[in-house]
Amino acid sequence: MTVIGVGRLIVQRQDYENSIERSYQREIAARVQLAEGTNPAAARATIAREAARRAQLRDSISGDTRDTVILVGAGLIAGLLGALLLFVGLITAMRRPLEALVGAAGRLAGGDRSARVEVGGVSEVATLGTAFNEMAAELELEASERDRLDRMKDEFVLTASHELRSPLTSVQGFAELLMMERDSLTPRQVETVEIILDNCRHLVRLLNDLLDLARSDAGRLSIRPQPTHLGALVEDVVRTMRAQTDASDQVLIERIDPDLPLVNVEVDRIRQILVNLVTNAHEYSPERASIQVTARVADNDVEISVTDNGPGIPPAQLEHIFERFVRGDAGLTQRVGGTGLGLAISKSLVELHGGTIAATSEVGRGSTFTITLPATGPEALEAAPVGTPVIGEGGRR
Amino acid sequence: MTTVLVADDSETILLLLRTRLELAGYDVETAADGQEVTERVDPNSDDGPDILLLDAMMPRKSGIDALRELRAAGLETPALIVSAHQTPDDADAPADLEISGYLTKPIDFDALLGAVAELTAKAA
Repeated sequence: MTVIGVGRLIVQRQDYENSIERSYQREIAARVQLAEGTNPAAARATIAREAARRAQLRDSISGDTRDTVILVGAGLIAGLLGALLLFVGLITAMRRPLEALVGAAGRLAGGDRSARVEVGGVSEVATLGTAFNEMAAELELEASERDRLDRMKDEFVLTASHELRSPLTSVQGFAELLMMERDSLTPRQVETVEIILDNCRHLVRLLNDLLDLARSDAGRLSIRPQPTHLGALVEDVVRTMRAQTDASDQVLIERIDPDLPLVNVEVDRIRQILVNLVTNAHEYSPERASIQVTARVADNDVEISVTDNGPGIPPAQLEHIFERFVRGDAGLTQRVGGTGLGLAISKSLVELHGGTIAATSEVGRGSTFTITLPATGPEALEAAPVGTPVIGEGGRR
Repeated sequence: MTTVLVADDSETILLLLRTRLELAGYDVETAADGQEVTERVDPNSDDGPDILLLDAMMPRKSGIDALRELRAAGLETPALIVSAHQTPDDADAPADLEISGYLTKPIDFDALLGAVAELTAKAA
């Protein structure tokens, strides 16, 4: 309608201008006649007639223009209204399915793998819905397959760890039996048996670490916290480790704040972490190095740090030091009997206690590893239940 | 003389346990699984072993199941459980089962002999 109107307006305008031009031509001719005086009366009449015709033409063109403008305007408005109606219709048809899609996508992202949408509405939206459902089904399948593989892996590690313990018990046990007769062994035989025993201990450590990691991955690493005096625990760890540091002529000192508050921890797990940290300091530091274990109060936390003046850790390694199988410099690692899992496990364990672990180091100056554990509020200080006593440390160190 | 009844499905571990316990001065009887333990121990007799040392996991009948049966029948003999599992929970040991101690594999013999000596002293 609008296009027709605009076309009409252009044609009308051209007709009008042509007519006006012809009218002026006739009037000019009449004025020439009047000037020449050939037929003054007729010329005057023509001049007046042409002026009147032009006035009439002007009136009619402005009326036509107005009509056309109204026509064009009406067309525009009708078009807009139509588009608006169509738009509102489309929006209404699309809104519900789109809202459902957004909701389902949110649930899917939130971990609800069964999130699906009802397919319907405008065909494009329906296509989108179908595509979404296919994607969600694919994701659900992948996730359940991944879960199954994860469970298999955890199960495998648990079973392997248990199955390996029995033969290991025999190897270690009989080597120990041999050592009970060490007086009748040659020095070389004693050394051989010591190597067997060292490697047994290493295997046990590896098995325990793998077990802890598999448990941690499966979310089954749990702790049984009890209100604990960390000072006594630190002293105990230092006492246990002193034989090893003495053998390397290293100095092992403890500094324990006498006013440490109780912390709610599983003693064996914190012992495991501290032994790991002191063992690292001992194994990575040269002979005659010094290692300091400090326990102090920091705000509402208890902080235990293990500092050595060993070779230190380059920043690029320090960044990844709590990741699995990340170990110190290879030159040193050859004489260090670690598994590369100790710090990763320590981190999981500290976090399980609601604490944090951090490391700072300067190459050539030494390293400090600090664990921070929240002090126990008085409400948590109930007596912890006593279960079956676990005798010995089961090779755990 | 204190008699220890040791049950484990591995002959090698039985030999190891027997040797260490005999070297420490105990009389040792052995059983290959829990079934043999329940057949050999009479809950109502005082002539049975003084201490039980049972592997938690064995074919036919586990050490845990054998002990549970014997306790239900009134046996009061102290028992130590040896397991490849790291905690009593992992070994499915019921919390109310009366166990004097729980040892993990590989066995820490100083701890084991200490526990047996303690139980012997308590019984004397």
